[in-house]
Amino acid sequence: MKKILALILALVMVLSFAACGNDEPANEGGENAGTEGETLTAENIKIGFVHVSDPSDMGYTYNHDLGTWKMAENLGISEDQIINKYNIGEDEGCATAINELIEAGCDIIFATSFGHGDYMTEAAAEHPEIQFCHATGSQAADSGLSNYHNYFTSIYEARYIAGVAAGLKLNEMIANGTITEDEAVIGYVAAFYFEEVISGFSAFYLGARSVCPSATMITLKADSWSDPVKEGQIAQSLIDQGAVLISQHSDNTSPATTAEAAGLFHCGYNSDMAEAAPKASIISARADWSIYLTYAVECVLNGEEIVTDWCGGYAEGANFTSPLNTAVAAEGTQEKLDEVANGIKDGSIHVFAGPWSGYYVWDQTPYECAEGEWVEESETRSAPYFGYIIDGITLLDA
Amino acid sequence: MTYENVKKEPLVRIAKRPELSKGKATLVRLSSILVALLIGGLLILVLGYNPIAVYADIIKGSLLTGTALKSTVKIAVPLLGAALAIAPAFKMKFWNCGAEGQITVGAIVSTYFALYHVDNLPSPVLFIVAFAAAAVVGGLWGLIPAFFKARWGTNETLFTLMLNYIAIGFVKYLRIGPWMDKGQMFPKVPMFDKAARLPEVFGVHIGWIIVLALVIFIYVYMTRTKHGYEIAVVGESVSTARYSGMNVGKVIMRTMFLSGAIAGIVGWMMVCGTNYTLSDTTANGYGFTAIVVAWLSKLNPFTMVGISAFLAILQKGSNTIQTNFGIPASASEVLTGLILLCMLGSEFFINYRFVFRKKTVGGDD
Repeated sequence: MKKILALILALVMVLSFAACGNDEPANEGGENAGTEGETLTAENIKIGFVHVSDPSDMGYTYNHDLGTWKMAENLGISEDQIINKYNIGEDEGCATAINELIEAGCDIIFATSFGHGDYMTEAAAEHPEIQFCHATGSQAADSGLSNYHNYFTSIYEARYIAGVAAGLKLNEMIANGTITEDEAVIGYVAAFYFEEVISGFSAFYLGARSVCPSATMITLKADSWSDPVKEGQIAQSLIDQGAVLISQHSDNTSPATTAEAAGLFHCGYNSDMAEAAPKASIISARADWSIYLTYAVECVLNGEEIVTDWCGGYAEGANFTSPLNTAVAAEGTQEKLDEVANGIKDGSIHVFAGPWSGYYVWDQTPYECAEGEWVEESETRSAPYFGYIIDGITLLDA
Repeated sequence: MTYENVKKEPLVRIAKRPELSKGKATLVRLSSILVALLIGGLLILVLGYNPIAVYADIIKGSLLTGTALKSTVKIAVPLLGAALAIAPAFKMKFWNCGAEGQITVGAIVSTYFALYHVDNLPSPVLFIVAFAAAAVVGGLWGLIPAFFKARWGTNETLFTLMLNYIAIGFVKYLRIGPWMDKGQMFPKVPMFDKAARLPEVFGVHIGWIIVLALVIFIYVYMTRTKHGYEIAVVGESVSTARYSGMNVGKVIMRTMFLSGAIAGIVGWMMVCGTNYTLSDTTANGYGFTAIVVAWLSKLNPFTMVGISAFLAILQKGSNTIQTNFGIPASASEVLTGLILLCMLGSEFFINYRFVFRKKTVGGDD
């Protein structure tokens, strides 16, 4: 009896393999065929998203999701035309998620996390009829595929402005006698150490140093984009090592709440983190993804090519800072921020301008950026490529 | 203990049950699933969704489309493989909690061949070499705690568990250090070349054929061979085994080598068949979930096929409901946990019963 049951189970498994084998040809023509014949309109286009976490992170995915719905509103696309795949890791699950979106008939697919890139590249090569857009990625140009695109914003500009607000807060603490000049230490919760993150914390640091010359920065990495517990622990560890102001390149608000619990200050990323930590979070650097999403979906609807690399600037509103939390910010911050913002818009302020010295992160080659010079960022591709560790920043765990 | 304490009978006592008939036991197990679905349904209701729609979506999202079914099978295959790996060790009452690490070292070795010998070995040779190397290294990784247990009687649960973290830590080192994909400027191991990827049969890598063959192998090995008999005797009583002249240490080490070797093979198919790269999460918890599979199937290899398929459906299905209903990942994990808890809990009710004070209490021990 038992053996028969087992045999049946084994048989069911084998048959199910056979069945899924048979499914294949049917799927290729399947739901896609329906939309291929007719022209794409805002009423019948299907849009897929692969997200690394879900909007409950109140950070990166939350912010990207806001962009999705704004885009839908802009173009008159209804909710059921958008398929979101949440909590898709940077592994084989990503390939499955993309395949399911293709199967569901998506005409354009967005993926939001750097590690989704390898799977996007393979899917883009296999499905030339579908547009693939990968945020923060860097593989589209090299792939040579016309249906594969990268997008990002020059978030380093908003980070620089947030850094200025942080520097002014440090100045206030020095003036109050809360800390000495040497104790103006910023702690930075980094997801990983590579260009996207390095570009962000360097911009933030240079912003802070532009107003508070004695500011230094220490960093620790979480080895994850989204790990609320670990991000909080890292923030605490940075505080224990002398940081008096926390900023972050990670997806959750736990660094903000940790800073608040310690009675210290914070600058956020992705969402307005002053909502989570009203007594600590001064200002947050944010991206407005709706600008790109609207552009890309419009291109598909109009049958136009999407650019291979898209990097939206501060001047066009693709990245911005959240409203200043005046309850926490130092006096006179808003005026200074307006001045800096104007400088960035009109090009008189270059974020990565000298004088600074440092080294290249991958081979430790020293680099000197003299006064009046600057390193360019996001000019040749959308994903950040600033890879220097500026003197004054210490990677505690590199 | 005072006299009163002994005399006073508690309100409820737990007593061993006389063996239930097979039919009744099956009934208890089936009703436990039903109870699990009801409690889960309640949870879904509290979250504000329609339980029937959510359950239907789990089935649809794991079985009813080609991609979903393939992906479910890709979860079931390593899970089944890992359960088969720990079965002989568990039969011996050697608590191998190290399948996760044994899978990982198998994956590391396979990755070495896939990355550095893809150009000088033809694909079939590459697969066989990587397969053999993964089995040997996985086996050796399993042999370490067995050797210490056989020699010095160390605690194998802790030992195997700790070895997991060493293996995974080593992957981190490789990922950030010598094996980092230099082209990407991001700390990850490169994707394998097409030539280093396992061929597919019916849309799923050939690992499934190997695992099904292993089902038969483990069944025969455990029930029809001298080795299998020795494993059973050592599991029941080490003293009996010793009196009957068995070399207990040798049996333990041999069995753990086999256990680790099968886990190593699972690692091989994870990197060459599914992920095409190595990461910290290559083993993906299969080594731990396999313990649940092994228990629920009472170490019967054929039952494992069904149980691992069931768990794979739950896992894939819970991903789908996150997408379609926006149910947070944590809530769908709670749902999966509830179902497993009820299924494991039913084993308790099959073996024990509650005895209340008022009732006559004869017949139990």
